[in-house]
Amino acid sequence: MMQRDVHLTAKDLLMSMQFKPGDFGKIAVISGQPQRVQMALEKLKNPMRNFSAFGYTLWTGEYKGKRVTVGHGGMYAPDAALITELLCVGGVEYLIRLGSCGAMTKEIGIGDYVIAKGAIRGDGVTRYYVDDDFVPYADKTLTTKLAETCKKHTHLGMIWTTDAILRETKEIVNDAIAKGAIAVDMVTSPFLTIAQLYGKRACALLVVTDNLITGEIGFADIRVFDAERRMIERGFDLIREI
Amino acid sequence: MRVLFLQPPLGWWAVWKRHIANNVAHAQLAANIREWYPEIEVKVLDARALGMDEKQMLDAIVEINPDLIYMGDALQTTGVAAIHPRYQHAAKLIKQVLPKVKICVGGFFYGANAPMMLEKTPEFDFVVAGETERTVPELAKELSKRDPDIPSIKGLAYRDKYGEVKLTAYRPLIENLDDLPLPAYDLFPMDKYVGFNYLKHYVETYMSRGCPNGCRFCVGWTNYDPRGNKDWTHYRYRSPERMAEEMELLVKKYGAKFICMMDEDLNVYRERMEGLIEELRRRNLKVPFFFMGRAPYHLRDRDLLKPLREVGFVCGLFGMEAVDKKTLEAIKKGTTVDEVAELVQLFRENNIVSVITWMVGFPEDDEMKIKDRIERLNLIDPDMAALQIMTPLPGIPMYKQLEPLVEDWDLRKWDFQHAVIRTKYLSREDLARLAAWANREFYSKPGRVQRILYYKGYHPFCRLIARTYVETAGKEHAQAAVEDKIFV
Ligand code: SF4
Repeated sequence: MMQRDVHLTAKDLLMSMQFKPGDFGKIAVISGQPQRVQMALEKLKNPMRNFSAFGYTLWTGEYKGKRVTVGHGGMYAPDAALITELLCVGGVEYLIRLGSCGAMTKEIGIGDYVIAKGAIRGDGVTRYYVDDDFVPYADKTLTTKLAETCKKHTHLGMIWTTDAILRETKEIVNDAIAKGAIAVDMVTSPFLTIAQLYGKRACALLVVTDNLITGEIGFADIRVFDAERRMIERGFDLIREI
Repeated sequence: MRVLFLQPPLGWWAVWKRHIANNVAHAQLAANIREWYPEIEVKVLDARALGMDEKQMLDAIVEINPDLIYMGDALQTTGVAAIHPRYQHAAKLIKQVLPKVKICVGGFFYGANAPMMLEKTPEFDFVVAGETERTVPELAKELSKRDPDIPSIKGLAYRDKYGEVKLTAYRPLIENLDDLPLPAYDLFPMDKYVGFNYLKHYVETYMSRGCPNGCRFCVGWTNYDPRGNKDWTHYRYRSPERMAEEMELLVKKYGAKFICMMDEDLNVYRERMEGLIEELRRRNLKVPFFFMGRAPYHLRDRDLLKPLREVGFVCGLFGMEAVDKKTLEAIKKGTTVDEVAELVQLFRENNIVSVITWMVGFPEDDEMKIKDRIERLNLIDPDMAALQIMTPLPGIPMYKQLEPLVEDWDLRKWDFQHAVIRTKYLSREDLARLAAWANREFYSKPGRVQRILYYKGYHPFCRLIARTYVETAGKEHAQAAVEDKIFV
C-alpha cells in the first residue's frame, strides 16, 4: 500500500524539473492553443523558458516593466488543473486565461468575448479538489478591470465547463443554461477553482468559436482569428492595470 | 467602324471572394486600334465593373451601336475556361437585339482552339487563333471596308459564305512588345476595380508574353496557335523603361494603389529585373506590386530580392505543383522542391509574402500522394498556397493524356476550383473532397494564419489578400470543389 499522503505534489513536480522559486513572474497569461501562446510570447521582452514538461512550456519575460509568465495552460480540465496548480505553487499571484468557448445564448456571436464571472462545474477533475456544492468565482477586481479593457461585443457571465464536447446534448446544455451558464468551455472550472483554493486572483477571457443555440460553427472563422488577436492585446492591457 | 470591347457580367474565382479586375487584354487591343487605325472608333463597356445586369448591358450596347464586339482575356485568372459560357451567353443575348453586329472572341483558351470553338458556338462570328494584338485591329480595319477580305487576315477562324468554319494562315508573333502602345487605360472605369475583395484602386498589368519553361500542364499554352513553333515558350517582354513608364502612369494618372503584374513569368532575365529596380528608383515610384516568376530565376537573382522589396515587390508567386520527382518530371516542371523551400525562406527574410501554386488531379494522384504533397507543403510553409485542381484545357501538352479522365464537360466549372476530372485512383468526388480538405488544412494551420494575417513586416495589402484566402478556405472554396457551386 502507498504510505505517502500524495504521490506527487505540484512542488515535487516543479522541483523535479529544476524549477527555482522566482522563476515565474507574479503575473501569468495562459492559453491552450499554441497560436495564442505564440502571440502572447511575442509580447514579452527577453522571454526565458523556465518550465517544460509533458509537452507544456512556460516562459517568463518582461512586459512594461513587470515580470510575466506565459505559456500553455492546458486545453482540457485535467491538464488545466495541472498547469494552474503548478503556477499557483510556483509563486504566481495573478492568473489571466485567454481561451475560447461556445456561446449558449443566441445573442452572443462568433468572435465575441465572454468574460467568466464564475464556473458551473461539469468537469471531473475539480471533484478531487473541492466539494460538490463549491462554486468557483473569478476575482472581482480583475474581472471588472478586464471588462473595462474589452467593452465591445463582450458578455459577462457564468461558464459551464464540460469534459465531453461531443456529449453536449439538449438536456445537459439546457440544464446548464438553467443554472445560469452563458457559455461552455473545457477549462474554466479547474482554472478558477484551483486559483481560488490557493488564494490567487484569476480571471478568464474567452473568444466565442461556436454557438450551441444557433448551431453556428466558427473554429476556423476569420472573426475568431481576429478576435483571438485582439484578445491577446486585451489580456496584456490588463497587465498594465495590475 | 465602331469596335466595342465588352466584359459582360461574370463572377470571379471562389477563393478571391470578390475580384473585379481591369481587362488588360482589352486595354492593349483598344490602344493598338487607336494608334494604328485612328479612324476606327473604340468603345469599352465593362459591365462587370459597372455592376450592370444583362438588361442594363444590352441597353448600353444598343446605345453604343457597335459594328464589332470583342470579348476575351489574356489571363487565366479571369476564370480559365469558365469565361466561355459567359461570353457565349452574352453573345446570344446581343444577337437578339443587334443581329447584324459581328462578335469576335480570342485570347486565353480560344487562342489554341479557334476553329473548334467557332464550330461549337454559333453566336460567335470570329475566333482569333493565337496572338490577338495584330489580328483584332486588322479584323476591325477589314470589316470597315465595303468588301472585307477576311481570309487575308492571319490567325483567324471565320465562317465562309456556306457557313463552314475556316482557319486563315498562321499569325507570327510580335517580337518586340515595346512596339505596342501602352494599354488604353483611359477608356476603362479604373476607379471601379477591386482585387481580392479588399484592394481598391487595384490594377492588373501584362508586360511579357510566354514562359520559356513550357510545363506540360500549363494553361498558358492555350493563348497560342498550335501551328506555331511552341509559341508559348517564345518569351517576349516590355523593356524595364516601358514597364516603369506604365507603372508610373497607373500610379500618377489613375491612382493605382497596388499593381498585380499578371505575366506568367516576369523574372526570366536578370538584366530586366535589374533594369526595373533602377527605373523604379530613378522615378522614385513607391507602389506595392506583385509578380509571378520561377523559383530558379529568383534563386539565381537572390541578391535582387532586397532591392526589389525596397522598390515595392511585396508579394510573389512561384510554382511547385507537385513534390515527387516522378510527377515533376512528367509535367516538365523544371523546378525542385528544395529550390522552392529555399526561396520561401529568402522571401520571408526579406518580408516578401510567398505564394506557391500547387496542384491536385495529376493522372497518377491517389490519396496518399495528395496528402504527402500537403505534408511537404506544410514543412516548406509558404505564406499562401494557391491550389489548382487540374483543369485539362485542350491546347495544353497533357490534354490527350487527361481527356479520357474528364467526367464533367460543363465549362462553367473549368476554372481550377472545381474537379472536372478523375485520376487513375480517385473519383472526381474524392478528388474534390481532398482538394477542399487540403485547402482548408493549409489555411487553418495555427501560427501560419496569424503570421499572414497580422505580421507587420508584410505589406498590409498582402495581409488583406491573405485574409481573403483564409476567409474562403472553408467556405467558397469548398462550395466550388465539393458542392459544384458556380462562381465565375
Ligand atoms: S513555369 Fe509557370 S508559367 Fe512557365 S510554363 Fe510552367 S506553369 Fe506555365
